[in-house]
Amino acid sequence: MSPVLSLERASLRYGDILGLSPTTFELPDGGGITGLLGPNGAGKSTLIQLLSGLLPPSGGEVLVFGQAPFRNPAVLSRIGFVPEGDRFPAGLRADRWLKMMGELSGLSEPALSESIARAIATVGMEAHASKPFARMSKGMRQKIRLAQALLHEPQLLILDEPFNGVDPASRLELMALLRDLAAQGRRILVSSHILGEVAMLTDRILLLFRGRLLAEGSVPEIRELLDRHPVELRVGTEDAQAVASWAVAQEELVGLRMEEGATVLAVRNPRTFLPRLQTAMLSGRLPLRSLEPLDLNLDAVFRFLTKDNA
Amino acid sequence: MEESRMNRAPSPLRTICALTRGYLPRVTQARGWVLAALALAPVGLAFAIHFTTSIIHHTEGVSPRLALDLFHGVLVRLMLPVMALVAAPAGIREDLEQRTLPLMLTRPASAWVLPFGKGVLWFGWGALWLLVSSFGLLLLGAEPQEAAFMALAVISAFWAMLAFMSLLGLQFKRGTLWGAIFLFIWDPLVRVMPGNLQRITFLHYIESIAGSRGAAVSKAQFLAQEQISTPWWIAALALFAFGALCWALCGRKLHATPIGLAGAEAEG
Repeated sequence: MSPVLSLERASLRYGDILGLSPTTFELPDGGGITGLLGPNGAGKSTLIQLLSGLLPPSGGEVLVFGQAPFRNPAVLSRIGFVPEGDRFPAGLRADRWLKMMGELSGLSEPALSESIARAIATVGMEAHASKPFARMSKGMRQKIRLAQALLHEPQLLILDEPFNGVDPASRLELMALLRDLAAQGRRILVSSHILGEVAMLTDRILLLFRGRLLAEGSVPEIRELLDRHPVELRVGTEDAQAVASWAVAQEELVGLRMEEGATVLAVRNPRTFLPRLQTAMLSGRLPLRSLEPLDLNLDAVFRFLTKDNA
Repeated sequence: MEESRMNRAPSPLRTICALTRGYLPRVTQARGWVLAALALAPVGLAFAIHFTTSIIHHTEGVSPRLALDLFHGVLVRLMLPVMALVAAPAGIREDLEQRTLPLMLTRPASAWVLPFGKGVLWFGWGALWLLVSSFGLLLLGAEPQEAAFMALAVISAFWAMLAFMSLLGLQFKRGTLWGAIFLFIWDPLVRVMPGNLQRITFLHYIESIAGSRGAAVSKAQFLAQEQISTPWWIAALALFAFGALCWALCGRKLHATPIGLAGAEAEG
């Protein structure tokens, strides 16, 4: 089966700055969601711009449906793209804008009206589509941007940080919608800097950091990789000595320091360590007042990965 | 999914029609009415003043010089360049700044059509009000044939100026500033330079079509510059061709330049 998209040592430079190191991977044909995970500045948007045909690679080769996507109508007519950010044309109504975008995608009446109605219904915006963008909530605008990407029934849907700034309810709706679209046979590529978001959506993850593709795998595989990163936990207690004595007996412990009224533990595999800590606390052996993770952000995890696990 | 449907890109004409229809509401918003006011204000104001004074002083008829002075002194030298500077940023430059351009560039429609498709709507709107303004000159004493040439001059000049400003807006970050410098500094400066340099001003072509103010210039205003003349139809063609060339260069620039999500030209 030929891949939907493939990168062969594709790279992109912004002047002297390397936006994406030579990267090679491919996505197989058929439906499914692939998550593009990485902290801010990892190169996710750069990669997405290469795939959606906005930018040509500085080196290597990018192929989507077997052709270079940059300014290529044959490829662009098969891609739906939802860029990052709350961008919308000022002074226009959503339905009129959708009609224009449909026409720019090569649709004409009567298929155009049908496509618009279907796309609006798919994102659940029937009641609001005739509003101007300026009078819509951020979540509504995001749904309209998704609708414009669906108008021409693309085989590949590319979404750049689609959940940024969207309220939790709308986020869940969007996730359900993306899963439905994937089930209909569309290949979907979603970028995010939040592992939890991607994990709720996808069966496959590409891990990017500082312009490099670090890892490619399933969510459990990536989770396992991330679990090897020691997480720092500040345990607030009146008896720091007791907590330290208990902690040194745990195999996950890789570091320990004492602070006033707290013990800071560096542990691997927090998912196995934390239930044990909870049991010890409930049994009365450890007098815990508070538990606070210190560096659970993705940046820390990625820094760890690039040091010795990439 | 049918293969034919997937690979169908809209023709350039359909792309232009789609953009014009899609952005039509924009011309009836604030910027559009400012554009209309710029075209109508001099004639409207002059007409109001003339009407008031004719009632107060019980006079009839208007001096033919009023329409001529208004056309050359206000409409051509001030309002027309300002109109181009107001309309051009609402074209493709607006999508660049609002960062909505990537949404259009990832469509199968040809990228080179987009600047013209967005610009032609603003040209049409501006030209409509310039036509109305030229009709107003008739009421202020211009001869019908004279007014027709004035309309041709301002509309063809607006076409060329708008295209030129759009090109500068795509080419430079401060395109409007460079445009203003060209229109308000270069054009008057040429009057003290060798005569042939007049050919690289909009003013020369406008005056070639609508007639110059030679008869109205006093001795004190004479400069040591020979008046260069171009037949009116060549002048009109030159303005049209220059405008078309600028639109084509805008299209080429957009087609060839990688423009990323940040809305700016990517260096990759």
